[in-house]
Amino acid sequence: MQNPYIPYPVKVDKIITEVDTKDIKTFRFTFVNKEDEEKYKYIPGQFGELSIYGKGESPIGIASSPTQKGYVEFTVQKAGVVTAALHEMEEGALMGLRGPLGNSWPLEYLEGKNIVIVGGGFAFTTLRSLINYMIHEDNRKRFGKITIIYGARTPGLLLYKDELAQWAKRSDLNLNVTVDKGDANWKGKEGFVPNVCKEVAPSAENSVAVICGPPVMIRFTLPVFFDLGFSKENIITSLEMRMKCGIGKCGRCNVGSKYVCKDGPVFSLAELDKLTKEY
Amino acid sequence: MEKRLIKKEALAGIAKKMAGDFLVWAPVKKEDNVLFEPLKKDTEPFFAYLNSKNAPKNVFFPHTETMMKYTRTEKGMTFSQDQSKVGEAVLFGVRPCDAHSFALLDMLFDQEKYKDDYYVAKRQKTTVISLACAQPPYATCFCTSVDGEPVSADGADILLTDLGSDYLVEFITPKGEKLIKYFGETKADTAAETKKNEIIAKAREAIKSKIPAHEVKPILDNNFEHPFWATIHGKCLACGTCTYLCPTCHCFDISDEVKGSDGVRIRSWDSCMFPLFTKETSGHNPRPSQKERWRQRTMHKFKYYVDNFKAISCVGCGRCVMYCPVNIDIRKIIEDISKL
Repeated sequence: MQNPYIPYPVKVDKIITEVDTKDIKTFRFTFVNKEDEEKYKYIPGQFGELSIYGKGESPIGIASSPTQKGYVEFTVQKAGVVTAALHEMEEGALMGLRGPLGNSWPLEYLEGKNIVIVGGGFAFTTLRSLINYMIHEDNRKRFGKITIIYGARTPGLLLYKDELAQWAKRSDLNLNVTVDKGDANWKGKEGFVPNVCKEVAPSAENSVAVICGPPVMIRFTLPVFFDLGFSKENIITSLEMRMKCGIGKCGRCNVGSKYVCKDGPVFSLAELDKLTKEY
Repeated sequence: MEKRLIKKEALAGIAKKMAGDFLVWAPVKKEDNVLFEPLKKDTEPFFAYLNSKNAPKNVFFPHTETMMKYTRTEKGMTFSQDQSKVGEAVLFGVRPCDAHSFALLDMLFDQEKYKDDYYVAKRQKTTVISLACAQPPYATCFCTSVDGEPVSADGADILLTDLGSDYLVEFITPKGEKLIKYFGETKADTAAETKKNEIIAKAREAIKSKIPAHEVKPILDNNFEHPFWATIHGKCLACGTCTYLCPTCHCFDISDEVKGSDGVRIRSWDSCMFPLFTKETSGHNPRPSQKERWRQRTMHKFKYYVDNFKAISCVGCGRCVMYCPVNIDIRKIIEDISKL
């Protein structure tokens, strides 16, 4: 069996600068050893440890969908030692990737239901993975209506702009992109995510809301969904904690008896209610 | 189960003979302390000890260990798994509380999914010989409150019990039986059995320190926010001594070290007592003060481990009680919790 602490060697195949502040980039990795790609079978919502020798590791949600073959993508904000080193890397560079780690978005539970995706700012990455998975031609019919509400502070801070444009053309999903404040070229919605959720008012019937964003967005968005009639079982989110091993051994990312790295990062609000508020 | 008798004075010789054949970790006097060290030709094992200052967990889970190595190339770093072979070893003469800790650490490191190769390799290759506490060494010993016994083979492959002038040698596991040739030909008689049973009863009786370790679980389940948690940490220095000496503490950090073009990724013991343990890049810390860290340490041992593995993660060795520089006493904490 593979030693879970040893990363797969990967090549930085492509780097896309996502935002006008240039501090969020998407890194596309290909596996140096083709057979590793088969071993790196992941589900949307899982994360990986990006491993830069000499710097360390950083746990980051997987932004690509398993339906995208041949590579794995991570969208990373430049923040600490490892992510800063990553942002300095060039296409063609070699580094390491561990995982896939953690549980995932509960795909089986989501099947047959209407899905409401709510994302704020940079926390849209594993939601993007889920969206691309659900709208893939092999999977689309297994899910009901798909409603997406995605907001960023400014148009320049929206991730995946090309994909958003593609999704906007589709008739099988309802895309609502909003910014806190638009600029001269912005023709879309203006307003905070909770308010847009109120406007769009997705029905709670046979529906699940998957919500990721900054704490302040989550705080104001949850009451909207409670008012719409969503139960805590049907509101799902993903936690972040400081991590090292990613496999529930090093002891730092636990919330109560659960390790966010191994038992999470995905939890329903009903599950979170049972845990202590230490995150 | 095979049982033998050996003369007490023969024990050091047996350890030294084994040391000629493979790595033997044995208690050795070092200035004022007794520590488990690899036995060398000129070192004398010291079996008349109370308990070692450090828990012997470092035999399987070293203070610092290399996880992998890497080299800088033009395209970036390429890595190789550390190829150093783990050889056969014997951990000779650990106290039953510390051997019990191995059974607890196994639950975490040796899981079906995500096996910790570094720990498991050393654990599998090492035979554990426990030296029973015929006379419990310290007033701070409380093993009987946390599913331990002063005379117990839990976590051990061979158990030695001091019968006065002889040691009774019991071969608990097939791994232990493989070392039978080192322990002479004298089979243990029923008299030795009877003597051992007397010693067991006496030793158990001699453990006077008792804590309600099992009773606090339902209280911990419901009192995460209790004001009691603000009363423990006032004098805590966050030195981490309790976690470093603890036989069951397993938290670690992973870091990279580079020299020239070569580097290593190492893991080192870490501690939930340290502020940086949970501090995130954003500056947010889910355990912002020593209060939350003490709650974590207590909960981890007496609730979380029980939730996850159905076992209390404390062996009652009393090291944290004896060596805390400001006299924080886990026994008192558990006692107080039981009265909440």
